[in-house]
Amino acid sequence: MQFRLEKRREPSKAMIYITPVVAVVLTMIVGAVIFSLIGYDGIGAVREIFLTPLTNSYKWQDLGIKAAPLIIIGVGLSIAYRANVWNIGAEGQYVIGGLAGTGIALLTYGMTGWWILPLMVLAGMLGGMAYAAIPALLRTRLNVNEILTSLMLTYASVQLIYYLIRAPWKDPMGMGFPQTRLFSEAARLPTIIPGTIVHLGVPIAVLVGIVAWFIMTRSVFGYRMRVVGAAPHAARYGGFSENKTIWLAMLVSGGLAGLAGVLEVAGPFQRMVPGFPTNYGFTAIIVAFLGRLNPLGVIVAGIVLAITFVGGEVAQTTIGLPNAATGIFQAMMLFFLLAGDILIKYRLRRVLPQPSVGAA
Amino acid sequence: MTLSRRTFVKVGGAALALPLLGSRAFAQLEKVKIGFIYVGSINDNGYNYAHNQGRIYVEEQLGDKVETVFVENVPEGPDCERVLRELAQQGCQLIFATSFGFGDSVVKVAAQFPDIAFEHATGYMNGPNIGLYNARFYEGRAVCGTIAGHMSKTGKAGYIGSFPIPEVVMGINALALSGRRINPEFTVKPVYISTWNDPAKEADAARAMIDQGIDIVAQHTDGPAALQVAAERGIVGGFGQGADMSAFAPDTQLTAIIDHWGPHYLASAEAVLAGTWTPGNTWEGLKEDVVQMGPYGAKVPEDVRAAADQVKNGQIDGSFHIFTGPIKDNTGTERVAAGVVMTDAELLSMDWYVEGVEQPA
Repeated sequence: MQFRLEKRREPSKAMIYITPVVAVVLTMIVGAVIFSLIGYDGIGAVREIFLTPLTNSYKWQDLGIKAAPLIIIGVGLSIAYRANVWNIGAEGQYVIGGLAGTGIALLTYGMTGWWILPLMVLAGMLGGMAYAAIPALLRTRLNVNEILTSLMLTYASVQLIYYLIRAPWKDPMGMGFPQTRLFSEAARLPTIIPGTIVHLGVPIAVLVGIVAWFIMTRSVFGYRMRVVGAAPHAARYGGFSENKTIWLAMLVSGGLAGLAGVLEVAGPFQRMVPGFPTNYGFTAIIVAFLGRLNPLGVIVAGIVLAITFVGGEVAQTTIGLPNAATGIFQAMMLFFLLAGDILIKYRLRRVLPQPSVGAA
Repeated sequence: MTLSRRTFVKVGGAALALPLLGSRAFAQLEKVKIGFIYVGSINDNGYNYAHNQGRIYVEEQLGDKVETVFVENVPEGPDCERVLRELAQQGCQLIFATSFGFGDSVVKVAAQFPDIAFEHATGYMNGPNIGLYNARFYEGRAVCGTIAGHMSKTGKAGYIGSFPIPEVVMGINALALSGRRINPEFTVKPVYISTWNDPAKEADAARAMIDQGIDIVAQHTDGPAALQVAAERGIVGGFGQGADMSAFAPDTQLTAIIDHWGPHYLASAEAVLAGTWTPGNTWEGLKEDVVQMGPYGAKVPEDVRAAADQVKNGQIDGSFHIFTGPIKDNTGTERVAAGVVMTDAELLSMDWYVEGVEQPA
């Protein structure tokens, strides 16, 4: 029995939604097999990584705060990627957003007032947008590939943190440790559920996803992004400027990455530290694709990735799985997803052996 | 990217008084469950490896009376908070947070779990259920510096640091002071790489400094990468940090500073079992066997070994302290008068470099 890949006339709508689910399920199965083969409790590993965080209500708060930045950044990236604008530097825009918010928090240190947090959020978004504007400018003016420039700017942003927290922003009480002082109360994101660590950023993330979905499906802006990505020639005929689309895509994805950055520094961190960049910007790329570049899908995908992070730590303590296992599971998920994508445009068709035609 | 760890115990009177006010009785236990969190991998063959050896030591010593769990590669930020709560929720009665940058998280989580004993390595913020422990790594540096002073041909050592925190600054100064006792021209060039564990950065820093003429490399980061570069480039040598790293550079490791946390972990575990644990503030060294020196490398000559042994033994019997005046800083100002020994509090807030240390960028 043989199989052949056959091109579909129309991309399969069903497969668009089925492949992410299949990818997650395959990841669980293959993961269980691999880890059993190398001597761990494979089934236990899958259970601890994928189920424990969901069944243990104590873990929900962790899922929420881990998923929030992934969702916010992932939503922005999904919009940009829809338009075929490859912003790989969300991590850098997240960092600059965090730094811009930190700047406001330090300027207003010791002050009180409801306006401080909104100002920080505004600064964070503008910071992320400004940082994303650099690759946009280079791309539209000089035709420099935005993948390279946005990625490289990420490394520059990390050096900027180191510079700021070692000298001008150093905590006077930090015993020489390079970090800023703890923000004052007015610059910290409030906790929304008493007794937990769930901060305001969590509902904001969900809101961002829903609003983005609405805009992408119901507005000219969303239409423009989708058309430019799916049919660039048609878009040009339709009068959508390519450069304007690149600018919009970079500013939206950069602004949202900056928003995630400022919420993260004002929420869980409450000060700028050298460990602020935690690869949310890169993980969000997986989130965007796992979510099918659909903002609502990104919300779900962000939670799935958060589950693997939180569950990975559970598995370390309960069955001694090494930390690297989390990365393996995440990578497998992206791998199966991308591999499965072929089924959207192709179908698997069984090839019957040709009856032998009259051997002479 | 990982970041901040270690250092430093604030020996202020107010800080010391706190645990006394808030001290609570812990119940006696049949069996203790202990959680460890590491900033890097237990396979780093250095700092985190050493902490994990300490965990294994406790298991060996207490057998059935202990169960240990650990989480490695924990970032120093909000992720750490989550891991600490996870361990607390899993029923750990004693939790060791082994890196400086875990401090904020320990303070937050310890307040939520007042019945669990927390111990934070190299930190400075204690509390009613937060103990602090640290090791006098600088004593090992003084032994290394003695060897470096004798053996360096260029008279220049490179020092790969993580962050300019007092613990690291004090190590750099100890190396410089002890090297200059032997060779008054000896200098130390520090480079900070803003991480505890990044083999590529550690190796790059080592290469760059070797190109600038150093022939001894020391590091206050977690792995053997710098030592391997030293071996590759054939410079005089380097030192193992955290653990004996001679397996990675057998001819190049001149000696190693070995962190021997086992006895401290055992003592804390036993105290929790007996219900007598109180938040302590320990800073132990060669004398208490918390800091050990690795074997001398084959190329260390007999007379140098004798000189190094003398420094080591002097620190064990208390006759020698590397931070004894006169000590000038690297701008030429005298900081410690002749014959005066720096206090622990002064060491633990050290933010200046001694004469012979190049001011880092």
